[in-house]
Amino acid sequence: MSLLELKGVEVQFSGFRALRGFDLSVAAGELRCLIGPNGAGKTTALDVICGKAQVNGGDIIFAGQNISHFEEHRIARLGIGRKFQVPSVFRELTVKENLHVAFCRRAGVFANLGISAAKANADELEKLAELVGLKESFRREAGILSHGQTQWLEIAMLVAQDAQLLLLDEPTAGMTAAETRKTAELCKQLKGRHTMLVVEHDMGFIKEIGDVISVMHQGRLLAQGTVAEIESDPEVRKAYLGSGGIRGA
Amino acid sequence: MRRIFISRGHIIGYAAFALAILVVPLFIDDPYLLNKLARYLIFGILAAALALSWGYTGILNLGQAVSFGLGSYCMAMTLKLHTIPIQTGAAGLPDFMVWNNVKSLPWFWEPFHSTAFAVVAGVAFPVVVALLLGWFVFRARVTGVYVSIITLAMLVVVNLVIVDQQRFTGGFNGLTDLADLKLFGIDFDPYSGATYYLIALSLLATLMIGEFVVRSKTGLIMQAIRDDETRVRYFGYDVARYQIFAFCVSAGLSGFAGMLYAMVMAFASPTFLSVQISLSIVIWCAVGGRESLIGSALGAILVTGIQGGLSETPAFLNTWMLIMGALFVAVVLFLPKGLISIVQLGMARLAGKKISALAEDEAPLPRGHKLGIG
Repeated sequence: MSLLELKGVEVQFSGFRALRGFDLSVAAGELRCLIGPNGAGKTTALDVICGKAQVNGGDIIFAGQNISHFEEHRIARLGIGRKFQVPSVFRELTVKENLHVAFCRRAGVFANLGISAAKANADELEKLAELVGLKESFRREAGILSHGQTQWLEIAMLVAQDAQLLLLDEPTAGMTAAETRKTAELCKQLKGRHTMLVVEHDMGFIKEIGDVISVMHQGRLLAQGTVAEIESDPEVRKAYLGSGGIRGA
Repeated sequence: MRRIFISRGHIIGYAAFALAILVVPLFIDDPYLLNKLARYLIFGILAAALALSWGYTGILNLGQAVSFGLGSYCMAMTLKLHTIPIQTGAAGLPDFMVWNNVKSLPWFWEPFHSTAFAVVAGVAFPVVVALLLGWFVFRARVTGVYVSIITLAMLVVVNLVIVDQQRFTGGFNGLTDLADLKLFGIDFDPYSGATYYLIALSLLATLMIGEFVVRSKTGLIMQAIRDDETRVRYFGYDVARYQIFAFCVSAGLSGFAGMLYAMVMAFASPTFLSVQISLSIVIWCAVGGRESLIGSALGAILVTGIQGGLSETPAFLNTWMLIMGALFVAVVLFLPKGLISIVQLGMARLAGKKISALAEDEAPLPRGHKLGIG
């Protein structure tokens, strides 16, 4: 049974149909890559799942629950974590504090009053920082981290959140080759424990981490399959025409 | 390591501050001066309350004088009802009601015969008002400058209502000729040491409550909201609830400060709900350091202290406002995190030396090391 299911999802931004009857089904434990030409609606697809964009039609089912019209924090509490394309961490807080905020076990105002910001879960948070290679920066402000480190911090924050489903929007954007490799390693480590839906452009990265790839075009699901299947799909070739096929994406 | 040391520094800082405000009366023989100092400490409470909502949560409340004013009226109402009968009408009817042809005590004045009720109401009423306003504002995801505009508008509305309802509120004149508060057999004469100590302890209690909140995980989430409100939602927190909480705690503390102010001034008037007071609180926080509770409180005491000192010195009678203005501009330009950042920077330097001597691998970066506008 699939963990996440999108059925005929429609999203409109002042008349523009970003998603036009988008269908997608992701099984528990799967690492799914979502690709497509610019403007295909990949980011919108992630936005609509985590509640950032409003659903204008269709249903989003997560773990058997229709979450189409839930508020963002309710969706997050059900177990969906989001990494944004532009890394968004709390720049004035330290790495540790960032992870602590993400480590959301109790969401209530009064429940959290009794928890010390400095002491609670310090060991677990430090392990998480270690996982993404940020142990040295554990007590530094996130604002001074490099671009790559910020991306990893945000991934670690999703792990801290312990989301069942991770939505990663271009986790390797702006990374050097070495950083991309490290990110791929990280994704592989998370595979299995978390179900992941990754939007990416970097085909090398996708080949390294992905099993099944879903291709989007003009707000719809165009094709789905392994890397080899996708590369030989005539429909996909047509969609990417002019940009040198999927390799040039 | 850094955090422990910072909190040790915190402890030292707080101990020094507590000692300073508690021993001051021993060296002061002038009741007028003592009364004035007590007033400055009340402003300290107000500034710490704003630091909680502005500095820590990013809610620039320009209507904080609403909470302050409502608190002061709650206290003034009970003190008015306890004024010796000679100044009141039949059945203890307050004098201004007699002048305004009010025949009997309005229903909402009745419970204020009880001092205990007034003390509770002085905190609870501002909290309820903040809760209602906060519910509408933060549920609707109003942010930034629009929150400031709405709170400012709220202040003007409440002020107008109080001025307009002269029959029940005393209008422009407010509530004057108040009795002293008598609690637990102590007479809190506005010019007495007892009142000063009540206020000093209230300020310390405020700071402790504030520190308790900001050092908790709730406080951490408040700071995350200040940084990036939207991002916090995707971790599963209901942002509006945290904002309403900070807004209400701030309102409750301000209401309490208002009660103390009515005692010290021995009157309450619409000037307590003025835009001027609201803006002054913002200036105190900015000068002291809005991201520090004790910094904001010190900012209030310092600014109002210098203001009082200068305005009463003949040599500065014409120029004191100019000097204050120059001081604000200088602090905001060169110390965007307020005067407290000097102390924090110094402390972090000290801590840095100590720690790097102990362990080389952990280079501490002081929280206030950035001097850019944050």
